[in-house]
Amino acid sequence: MSRTIDVIVIGSGMAGLCAATAAARKNARVRIISEGMGCMAISGGAIDLLGYDNEGNLLDNPWAGLKTLAPDHPYTLLGAENIKTALDGVVEIAGRHGLRLKHAGDDQNPRNFRFPTIMGTLRPTYLYQDNIDEQTLANAERVLVVSVKGFRDCRPALVINQLRRYKGWADKEYVPLVLPSPFDEKGRSLSALDLAHVADRPQGRDWMLNAIRGIGKGFDLVLMPPMLGARPLSPVRDKAAETAGCPCLEMASVPPGVAGLRIREALVDELHDLGVEFYENTQIKKAEIKDGNCASLTASAAGREIVHHARAVVVATGGILSGGVILDPGKAREGIFNLDIPVPGNVDDWSEPEIFGKHMVTSLGVKVDSQMRALDKNGVPCLGNVFFAGRTLGGYDYAAEKSGHGVAAATGWQAGSMAAGLALGKTAEQKASGADI
Amino acid sequence: MLETTVVVIGGGATGMGTLRDLSMRGVPAILLEQGGIAHGTSSRFHGLLHSGARYVVNDPASARECIEENMILRRIGKQCVEETEGFFVLTPKDDPKFVDAWEKGCKEAGIDAREISVKDALRLEPNLAPDIVRCFRVPDSCVDGFRLVLHNRMSAERHGGKALHYHEVTEILKRNGKVYGVRVLDRMHNKTIEIRCRYIINAAGSWSGLIAAMAGLEASITPDRGTLVAFNHRFTSRVINRLHPSSDGDIFVPHGSITILGTTSVPTDRPDDTRATYAEVVKLLELGEPLFPQVHDYRILRAFAGTRPLYTPGGASGRKATRNFQVVDHAADGLDGMVSIFGGKLTTYRLMAEKVCDDVCKRLGVGTTCRTADEPMCPAPDPAILEQATKYFPTHALNLMADRLGDDLEPVLQKAKIDAEKAAIATGTQVCDFSGNPLLCECEMVSLAEIETVARDPGVYSLTDIRLRTRLGMGTCQGAFCSVRTVGSLVEHGINLEFSPTDSVCRFMQERWKGARPALWGQQAREMEFGRAIYAGLLNLDGAMHEQDN
Repeated sequence: MSRTIDVIVIGSGMAGLCAATAAARKNARVRIISEGMGCMAISGGAIDLLGYDNEGNLLDNPWAGLKTLAPDHPYTLLGAENIKTALDGVVEIAGRHGLRLKHAGDDQNPRNFRFPTIMGTLRPTYLYQDNIDEQTLANAERVLVVSVKGFRDCRPALVINQLRRYKGWADKEYVPLVLPSPFDEKGRSLSALDLAHVADRPQGRDWMLNAIRGIGKGFDLVLMPPMLGARPLSPVRDKAAETAGCPCLEMASVPPGVAGLRIREALVDELHDLGVEFYENTQIKKAEIKDGNCASLTASAAGREIVHHARAVVVATGGILSGGVILDPGKAREGIFNLDIPVPGNVDDWSEPEIFGKHMVTSLGVKVDSQMRALDKNGVPCLGNVFFAGRTLGGYDYAAEKSGHGVAAATGWQAGSMAAGLALGKTAEQKASGADI
Repeated sequence: MLETTVVVIGGGATGMGTLRDLSMRGVPAILLEQGGIAHGTSSRFHGLLHSGARYVVNDPASARECIEENMILRRIGKQCVEETEGFFVLTPKDDPKFVDAWEKGCKEAGIDAREISVKDALRLEPNLAPDIVRCFRVPDSCVDGFRLVLHNRMSAERHGGKALHYHEVTEILKRNGKVYGVRVLDRMHNKTIEIRCRYIINAAGSWSGLIAAMAGLEASITPDRGTLVAFNHRFTSRVINRLHPSSDGDIFVPHGSITILGTTSVPTDRPDDTRATYAEVVKLLELGEPLFPQVHDYRILRAFAGTRPLYTPGGASGRKATRNFQVVDHAADGLDGMVSIFGGKLTTYRLMAEKVCDDVCKRLGVGTTCRTADEPMCPAPDPAILEQATKYFPTHALNLMADRLGDDLEPVLQKAKIDAEKAAIATGTQVCDFSGNPLLCECEMVSLAEIETVARDPGVYSLTDIRLRTRLGMGTCQGAFCSVRTVGSLVEHGINLEFSPTDSVCRFMQERWKGARPALWGQQAREMEFGRAIYAGLLNLDGAMHEQDN
């Protein structure tokens, strides 16, 4: 059996899923090979575009900040049009599968949304899931802050203490509320995902709706942990505001990433509809390069090795956290093709003494052209049919500038489009020459 | 203004041991420490309680002191010492001729060193290099420096002593060649206070030269920086030493769930020069390889450094300088009422305290003798109370906690009990519920009741202070999950730290970051990236620092 396919995407985080979608939409036959669930499993579920400009200034309009970025920033390489195409694509797909994503402001004047977190901090994000607008937050006078017994990561008192330290949030009246645990077991500790799974089950749905019924009466806003289901379509989430009696917002929470899983499932559903193949729990063991192209990928799952062939490959394996970028004493490399990433030999020079300083190491990755092809040290593309996306790329620090999912979606979309273009062009050429595929 | 008989400067093991000794002899004393618990070298070493075997060839006097003190500490500080024993291992790279002199030295110093077969050694420590040549068992042990200092303090306080943390001595007050007090900066409240006393004991370790200089005295203290690497797991159950003349990177010490590799030796001009460098980490790994060939693959948690207070009156330095200590009465230098204790090492801290207290007591005309070697620092907890407490604490967590808390155990248990009873009344259930007392730090098994009790101590200002007392955030996650939980719980229970929640967590992560930087690769780089993903990427603490009012 031939395992040759048009496009192989390695990785199933935001970048990989977007790359597969973009390629499949161009009618390429696509296969995703992934080791784990990628970043969406730890994601807060909002899509950051750009929260801070190159000087660290808080951005009201993320699009306006793009022009402050360095020439080798992935956004600069892509340009605003390409970024917009990708984000519109994600919003449309999520919507089709039941998950509404929106931005603050309107289409003429899109704005960042300052998204409350379970630590009572605000993070500038772009696309968010809650059916709430900035005005509701700004005008709310009485705010109910909710958690659930046994959920150690969210403490209403902390949220309140911290929100009061922000302008515009200082003068509101806050009330904390801890709901009883849906589990009878004594002292069981809960994660947000435990709670969300409750909401996803029919009997749990009733529990959740009963638990929040009427709690918002007399309040203008309810802040709660992300517990209203881990799936894109949720009857509980749709009814939350009506049941609680006032607008509800789910705060961004630490992993597990309930709200991120919603986006993931919507994108995966779409890929299933498009006929994309999935090889999960599968690790790439070897990448064979012939004449400057990737000729094959040897993948291993459950102790069995399979050799895959594709006309084009997208590498979306993430950064340092997921092994897409591998750091060794005095050296750095990309994880699939072992592309060397130049770094100073002295590791002390990789980072700054302040944890939130501007570190060399946190924006370390593969250098690419506008098509997302890796460049060698002379600036020439070095792997003809391989495209890189997401945190595998260098030139940006997602954590500092708040751009993670935005860069991943935009570069993924671009890499997938380019890979499909190349693969389908190749297929046409090969068909024309009568080659057996 | 405060008044006392003796002021002790320096809150490391020696200073705290001195405070304990004086207090047990009935001498009123106040200890001043510029930082938190074990701020200086007592927390920045490998955690080895020397058997003395390391010193038998070069410094037999030190070796004899070590073995005696080692045995005393096992008795008086059960909760601080893990009796692991140690191996001295001859690798193919070491000179086999050294062994005879070493064995003879051990015998003369009274250190029980017994050879075991390489096969048995490898069975007991399977991660050791298979090509080792010879192996000897010695009575080395491991000691928790934080806990040792803390338990000394508790014992001292029980006997009436007083220790002030974050209090920095800024001036030695003297008149007509005689000391009459000190001026002190209370760093947390930015206030200056004066303390009158008859005697000053300078036990400031690496800072002791600076304190002497403050009094207008000259002292040859050369701080000597030693870098160490902490690994994420316990790959040896025993202390493992290279059997060769003292050198860098030749000791591995297991410590709870981790292992520490040490040490380098570089003279420095600053006692607070605790920056570990990449070059040192790489060098330590290379030097450690003959003992543990897999050492490059083990995950590094952090690298850190401390400064040894080497006493170098003759100009010797580094490994050639003696590890021995010297009690110097500055009356000979024309200043009455000030005694310094120079040099020394943690293993003999108690003996150092005893000697200096003997000297000062003689001057004060106090006749009571030293009892610090006889009485345990913290009494063992009552088994019946522990049995009861299993209602509110997971059993394993309880034992760990009982050891680290010492005198604080009872209030913590009381608190957990009251909380559980309250919860039971509120919900109409039985009193057997951990929910009122969740574990906030799973790596080190630290529960809410423990953190709350420690946080209410007036000397605790930050998450770092809580960490030093409880080991919060010192395990595998290095604070990634437990810091936000802890801050949340403290706010919920109305306990305000000195810093805002955002600031508290940032400072805590900053501390961890410092240790990760020189070894920012492999699994540890991934862990740090995960921390940044949560605290910067998701929670935007870096932005909040500038956008919130404090």
